[in-house]
Amino acid sequence: MNTLIQFNNIRISLSRKPILNIEKLIIPSHQCTLMTGRNGSGKTTLFKIMSGLLKPDHTTVEYQGLTMDWKQAKPYIQKDIIYLHQQPYLFDASVAENIAYGLHRNGENKSVAHNKVMQALDWANLSHLAHRSAKQLSGGEKQRVALTRARILSPRLLLLDEPTASMDIEAKKQTSELLQRLKTEGVSIMISSHETHTVDHIADHHLHLEEGVLTSLELKSNTDNVTVLNPSRHTK
Amino acid sequence: MNDLSQASINAFQLLISGNSDIWEIISLSFGVSFSAILIATPPALVIAFFLAFFQFRLRRACIALFNTFMSVPAVIIGLTLYLMLSRSGPLGDLKLLFTQQAMIIGQILLCFPLLVAMAHASFQAADRRAWETAITLGAKPWRAFFTLIYEVRFGLIAAIVAGFGRVIAEIGCSMMVGGNILHATRNIPTAIALETSKGEFAQGIALGMVLLVLSLSLNAGVSIFQGKGELRS
Repeated sequence: MNTLIQFNNIRISLSRKPILNIEKLIIPSHQCTLMTGRNGSGKTTLFKIMSGLLKPDHTTVEYQGLTMDWKQAKPYIQKDIIYLHQQPYLFDASVAENIAYGLHRNGENKSVAHNKVMQALDWANLSHLAHRSAKQLSGGEKQRVALTRARILSPRLLLLDEPTASMDIEAKKQTSELLQRLKTEGVSIMISSHETHTVDHIADHHLHLEEGVLTSLELKSNTDNVTVLNPSRHTK
Repeated sequence: MNDLSQASINAFQLLISGNSDIWEIISLSFGVSFSAILIATPPALVIAFFLAFFQFRLRRACIALFNTFMSVPAVIIGLTLYLMLSRSGPLGDLKLLFTQQAMIIGQILLCFPLLVAMAHASFQAADRRAWETAITLGAKPWRAFFTLIYEVRFGLIAAIVAGFGRVIAEIGCSMMVGGNILHATRNIPTAIALETSKGEFAQGIALGMVLLVLSLSLNAGVSIFQGKGELRS
């Protein structure tokens, strides 16, 4: 298993209350990691730290052969890691303009960007929505647009916060298919989810976060039950 | 009643006939107020954004300060600026007193707290995910800032329009630091005050009509923008 990125000693407190205390978090390359945990266990906080959006009290990052503190690693992780909110935010523009956002920010040539957007829309079967206002889309459509918008930037790691929450069965299926295709394309994925049955068929690893502490679990496909490898860490 | 009707008819005639004095006062008034808004808006938006999106010491005190300054009477700002710019004042050497520049500075001081307070409310109401999404998609912070401005543009336009409404109609500050000098610093409110004190109601009413039409247009504009914003959100 090749390691894409490794975070050591992630610690953060909010209002003097410890939120995360993770000794080691290894993200493997080209694989999908499922992270479960109760509401308030720190999943979103962890994702925001990993994507460079939230400064932790302490962490070191091992990436591309370098060991850096979070501040030094921030430009690298912001370039290669994309975080998607539980309910993705789409800008007040058309679907095509939303997908092109990152390309324009990276200074991509206009006609090249246009071609890439058309291909990306086709990839996600969203071509019919290209000129629709992004604010008018359904939850499932928004999630697919957000995934396409992230994919077009060729990230090395996608962090997805509850990507199938509050979706109907069809939307869950479509989102799950897109995730499977992203994984096949070699994008490393980390998913936080309560609904493990929706995504565990694409997951290679299972982590569980509780009280800010991360535990590795055995992945059992097609079931919500997970086996705790180190149950002592869960005992309060 | 007849006097008022006659004065109103005369006022219309003054406006329609293109009376040069009247239109010079109107253009000076708009020029000064547009300049003040143009200068005040960019820093006000940056400060409002920082107050809404970043936690730092004295943040709440800053917000309270801007909210307080919003209600300071124009004449107090005019008096303070007069003392600063008068010959014996600390900025007397700049020789700005009774100039359009002094009026612009006064109007900037007047509209700045209002712009900050209203823009802060807009940024605070903005979805924090907009900022985070822009950053995670590779936008530099200043690019993400402009993205956020676009996302909350209706609220910000309402703030700018309200700021313009405050300065175009103020009299206290312009009178004190501008001096109401014909062809130099006479604007709509100071001209109305002067003409009314002389009993020349026609010119006062004509200028009042311009302010009234402007006020109605601004309010209509704000309502339309806010309505659009509500529909989209």
